[in-house]
Amino acid sequence: MKIFKSIKWRLQIWYGLILVVVLAGFGITAYQLERNRQFRQIDDELHRRISVLASALHRPPPRRQNADQQPFDRPSPEQMAEDGAPPFQRNRPRPEFHLPAEDVHFFDASEQHGFYYVIFPRSGGDGKEIARSANYPSHEIITTAANSLRAVNVFSEFPARNIKPHQNFSFDNHRETGDVLPSGEQIWVGCSIAPELKELHRTALNLTVVGSLILVIGLAGGWWLVSRAIKPINEISATAVKISAGDLSQRIDVAEAESELGQLAAVLNSTFARLETAFAQQKQFASDAAHELRTPVSVILTQTQTALNRERDAASYKQTVEACQRAAQRMRKLIESLLALARFDAGQEILKRQQFDVSKTISDCAELVSPLADERAVKIYVEAEPVEIIGDSERIAQVVTNLLTNAIQYNRPEGEVRVKLESQNGLAILTVADTGQGIAAENLPQVFGRFFRADTSRTGAGNSGLGLAITKAIVEAHGGTIEVASEENAGTTFTVRLPQG
Amino acid sequence: MRILIVEDEPDLLASLAQALREEGYAVDTADNGDDGLFNAEGTDYDAIVLDVMLPGMDGWEILKRLRKTKKTPVLMLTARDQTRDRVKGLDTGADDYVVKPFDLEEVFARLRAIIRRSANKTTNVIEIGDVKIDTAARSVFFKDKALEITAREYALVEFLALHRGEVVSRTQLYEHLFDENESSLSNLLDVHVSNVRKKLGAEFIATRRGHGYCIA
Repeated sequence: MKIFKSIKWRLQIWYGLILVVVLAGFGITAYQLERNRQFRQIDDELHRRISVLASALHRPPPRRQNADQQPFDRPSPEQMAEDGAPPFQRNRPRPEFHLPAEDVHFFDASEQHGFYYVIFPRSGGDGKEIARSANYPSHEIITTAANSLRAVNVFSEFPARNIKPHQNFSFDNHRETGDVLPSGEQIWVGCSIAPELKELHRTALNLTVVGSLILVIGLAGGWWLVSRAIKPINEISATAVKISAGDLSQRIDVAEAESELGQLAAVLNSTFARLETAFAQQKQFASDAAHELRTPVSVILTQTQTALNRERDAASYKQTVEACQRAAQRMRKLIESLLALARFDAGQEILKRQQFDVSKTISDCAELVSPLADERAVKIYVEAEPVEIIGDSERIAQVVTNLLTNAIQYNRPEGEVRVKLESQNGLAILTVADTGQGIAAENLPQVFGRFFRADTSRTGAGNSGLGLAITKAIVEAHGGTIEVASEENAGTTFTVRLPQG
Repeated sequence: MRILIVEDEPDLLASLAQALREEGYAVDTADNGDDGLFNAEGTDYDAIVLDVMLPGMDGWEILKRLRKTKKTPVLMLTARDQTRDRVKGLDTGADDYVVKPFDLEEVFARLRAIIRRSANKTTNVIEIGDVKIDTAARSVFFKDKALEITAREYALVEFLALHRGEVVSRTQLYEHLFDENESSLSNLLDVHVSNVRKKLGAEFIATRRGHGYCIA
């Protein structure tokens, strides 16, 4: 059953079981205590009656002829020989029983308990009981009790030795107890405990009813508690479902930030936020990439459609083909940059690790860009002390070239580019400063973003808007950092820090 | 018809201008926003083809400023095809937009449409008496017979027909039929007018001395 696999149901079932056990234990204990209390009361009454009966037992004075004998229960040897019975017994006179009038009420048959009694002579006597109350039950309850067995013959086998004084017995709605007097007589009293049993029965019923009520209320309360505890989990999963359905802007409502669930929700929320940012970046990136590709495709379409509109001369076709080639080269460059970035993003770009001198890389790159610098009459000043680092020299060369090209392109005519390399605290520090128009402060944070262009006029084939993004990715893949500082109309300075180790 | 193209991608600008010239338009070009706005404000173009992403002032800004003084129909070229961008363009005052990469045929058709709308015409065919002008095919019929007509003569007929009932000055005609690079010898316009009169009848174009020409 699926429903019993839910935490809610399982909690409820466990809770219900525990509740049943606790309630049952409590009920049984309460019942037992009540039963003991009732029986103790009855037993007190019974013992009181034994005392009453004992004091009502009158012993006649010893026989005359034995008056000189002492003590009275030490018979002479002749007597013992006379009838073979121990003279001790034979000579004991049978006690007389007379219940005083003021004690008769103790054995009032009309009272609900109907106390009764029976008094046996000492064992070995004639076995005939000394007295019995009028309401003594017709059945042989006492015999049964005394033997703790089914006695066969109360008179011949009366067994007082099997019982301990004050032992109590309950059976057949009766409770009885007996005592053996020092003189050997046995007094048994009993009574009906039907009223107590009835009372106990009612108590049991009450306990059951109240217990069931408590169980129902407890289960309902438990259900409420479990529902309350589960509710935030349900909310979390409902939100997660919405998010997995594509609505990344959803967040879990964190009502109690301190609770365990609040912490879980906060963790999930931050995960969702990262997911949303990543998705948004991805979407923006794809949209930007598509946008960047639209212009070269437009060029190719328009050029070719214009060329094909009518017959042209060879020079005109050549122009068209050249324009298409430029557009295609631009697209290739863009695609290469995008792929490089994607590889860096996925952590798939494998860097070579070799020791090389960055100052050598800088002088190579400066030579590489010198035609561009000459074209714009920009002067490049290099001040580089030899600094060795471990890394991918080709990638670092790409970083330097990108920074130099930017510094030249965004410079004023006849401006300057100053490149400096030094070693500080185990870091290779490269700075590239230009004397260009600078970057507005509000644009600085986006400089390393994808498809960012400080100046939209540089949309020419050489500038994809990805250069600095790639530069940053390379520097970070080397465990380094890149920073930019800029002053408008004064220049921009890029600072790259690369660990030497 | 004289058109201004504002586009910063040189290869795209060149081929667009060439294609439109071959369609018989007089074409001026600008490769940045500031020049674009200067031209657009200074000349009565019949339509402007305006790229959104431009160095200097961008397309939105040009449009916003231009709309303060002129109602010239504007066709936006945009690389962004999201609804948001299109709505922004149309709300700013663009008459239509084309998303890059586009087909030339579509640009031509949309240009014709915005020029036609600005002249309050609903179809491509203008009928004036026995003369029928098909602006889509760029051809003129006289008594249901297709007429041999040069591109310049057609442009003259079309412009006057679109402004039927108005007196069109010589300056206006120069502005709309010739681009900034063409030498505008004054008698050139008279030659075109007299050629059209020969083909469509002397009374088709009336001369209002001291004011200009008119199709009644």
